[in-house]
Amino acid sequence: MKRDRQLLFLVGINLMVLAVGAFISKGAFVDPYNLQSMAGQLPELGFLAIGVMLAMSSGNGGIDLSGIALANLAGVTSATLVAGWVSTDEAPALFTFLFIGTALCVGLAGGVFNGLLIAKLGLTPILCTLGTQLLYTGLAVVVSGGPSVRVGSAEPLMTIGSGLLLGVPISFLIFGVVALVVGMLLKFSPFGIRLFLMGTNPKAALYAGFSQTKLLVTTYGLSGLLAALAGVLIASRNVNVKWDYGQSYLLIAILITVMAGVKPEGGYGRMICLFLSATALQLLSSMLNFANFSNFFRDCAWGLLLLIFLAISRIDLRNFFRHRAQPV
Amino acid sequence: MKVKSFQLSLIGAALAATLGTVIAQDKPVIATVVKISGIPWFNRMEVGVKEFASTTPTVIASQSGPATADAAQQLKIIDDLVAKKVSALAVVPMDPAVIEGVLKRAMDRGIVVVTHEADNQKNTNANIEAFDNAAYGTALNEKLAACMGKTGKWTSFVGSLGSRTHLQWVDAGAANAKKYAGMTLVDAKNESFDDANKTYEKAKEVLRKHPDLKGFQSSAGNDVIGIGRAIEEAGLVGKVCLVGTGLPTPSAKLLESGAITAIGFWDPKDAGLAMNKAAKMLLEKKPLTDGINLGVKGYEKVSVTKGPGGGLLLVGNAMVIADKATYKNFLF
Repeated sequence: MKRDRQLLFLVGINLMVLAVGAFISKGAFVDPYNLQSMAGQLPELGFLAIGVMLAMSSGNGGIDLSGIALANLAGVTSATLVAGWVSTDEAPALFTFLFIGTALCVGLAGGVFNGLLIAKLGLTPILCTLGTQLLYTGLAVVVSGGPSVRVGSAEPLMTIGSGLLLGVPISFLIFGVVALVVGMLLKFSPFGIRLFLMGTNPKAALYAGFSQTKLLVTTYGLSGLLAALAGVLIASRNVNVKWDYGQSYLLIAILITVMAGVKPEGGYGRMICLFLSATALQLLSSMLNFANFSNFFRDCAWGLLLLIFLAISRIDLRNFFRHRAQPV
Repeated sequence: MKVKSFQLSLIGAALAATLGTVIAQDKPVIATVVKISGIPWFNRMEVGVKEFASTTPTVIASQSGPATADAAQQLKIIDDLVAKKVSALAVVPMDPAVIEGVLKRAMDRGIVVVTHEADNQKNTNANIEAFDNAAYGTALNEKLAACMGKTGKWTSFVGSLGSRTHLQWVDAGAANAKKYAGMTLVDAKNESFDDANKTYEKAKEVLRKHPDLKGFQSSAGNDVIGIGRAIEEAGLVGKVCLVGTGLPTPSAKLLESGAITAIGFWDPKDAGLAMNKAAKMLLEKKPLTDGINLGVKGYEKVSVTKGPGGGLLLVGNAMVIADKATYKNFLF
């Protein structure tokens, strides 16, 4: 089955990179510190990738290019607004709560705006989110004035980004929980089922009476919330937020999604594959850094991995072997 | 699943074959991380790092850097190096604020941290500057003012609004220009992201917006190339002055044609050597005292003061301002 092949390939790649990494680094690659370090780097990208997957699943060329821009806007807005009202030293818990709350509100607003533009005005998602990406980036520049904004070191907020629970980074746990929740939402809830149906055949969905507007707004709204979560993690790990952070993340998030087997035309996507795809890319990236490979080679390696993944999904090599075994 | 294991073993064999020779050794490792790989400035720094590696067989020294001018990518590289537990890090930060967290984790792990072009970095054992940044910015601006005849509109370029040293130079330049009533600063601090093409486009835009613009002060190494090209194409050589940081060899053509008035720089090779030597001394627990000689040209009498965090601030004497007549003395 095509689906199992993809999942097995991803599991295989993860294990293989861990093995090779451990071999070349005499075990340093798989020691707890590095595993924690890699697990901590992953969630920012992971949330953006889930957002792209949601957008892609909605069909009609769905995609969300505004993820990282919205994440930065959420971070910058929260940092500027909340720091003005609440001191990080006197009320760290309140600061953290308000910071996360403001970021989520900004993310939701941005996502809903995307959804409305696509549903009501009928804009092509790629063009719409390209435009909103520039809009959110511009707003972030205006709000921050240009330089990075210091978030301040409120203990609870710092713990989210760098703290550990039973040896596992808290940010990674949050990512795992969110992935699980969204995955279950997609598989078992009416929203999820309708989303995939609409992605597969928008016309049939229309005649079946699905409210396209509600579905699209919910989808892109969720994507916006996830972008805001990414923004919170960035703020927490780096203690500073800036409007142009992570410009390379956009394409990396899309790469993770495509390599998870999510159909760009809509209607299909598995959360477990997305999770494994994100970990595979993170492991490969870290392993190349351990091996002192040039950063340019990393893009090459990812591209190669993507091509192999796509090939495995399409080509059944068993046929090739069967023919060779038989004499002419 | 014969097919699956065949495919996977192919990939595994390929990976193992290429990486088989790369096994960690027991000598101390000093890892230099630059703002962006592949541009002339940091290629020159790599010459210094390689020279250090070959003349110091007791340590392993190497340089790495992101493929794009993205602070997030530099952060990832440093994260992985900290996890790999290198002995020392020599970092030229894209944005010092973004990496404070990871540098603190590095220092907590017992890794020596040396930085360059980041005198506001708190979490570092020593930050090395080639010269006093305000003095450099003023010197660039004086050269620009002299060319402009001390009157006219001028603008400034920086690598990014997070690039600490660039901001120091253009701010010092702006303060200097205030002395001359005839000079007006317009559209200050345009971002170039170390991309000569982007700089070229931006310079064209600025020239279109201010047709009477008479001067540019630029900061990132590639800016003079992009702006110089824009000036040449617009036929404004001799009418518009350009002074900025740049390396002699890449800027030679534009210096000869007059598109670039003067370049300011310090040898990145020497900066790389200085960082690695300082890191080695810190690893050997040798003190960095005021007036110390790092054994590198331009850093023979380094002033050492307390930095903003718990570390030291080392300031050398490696400033060079060269124009058409003098640049040939420096062939890099």
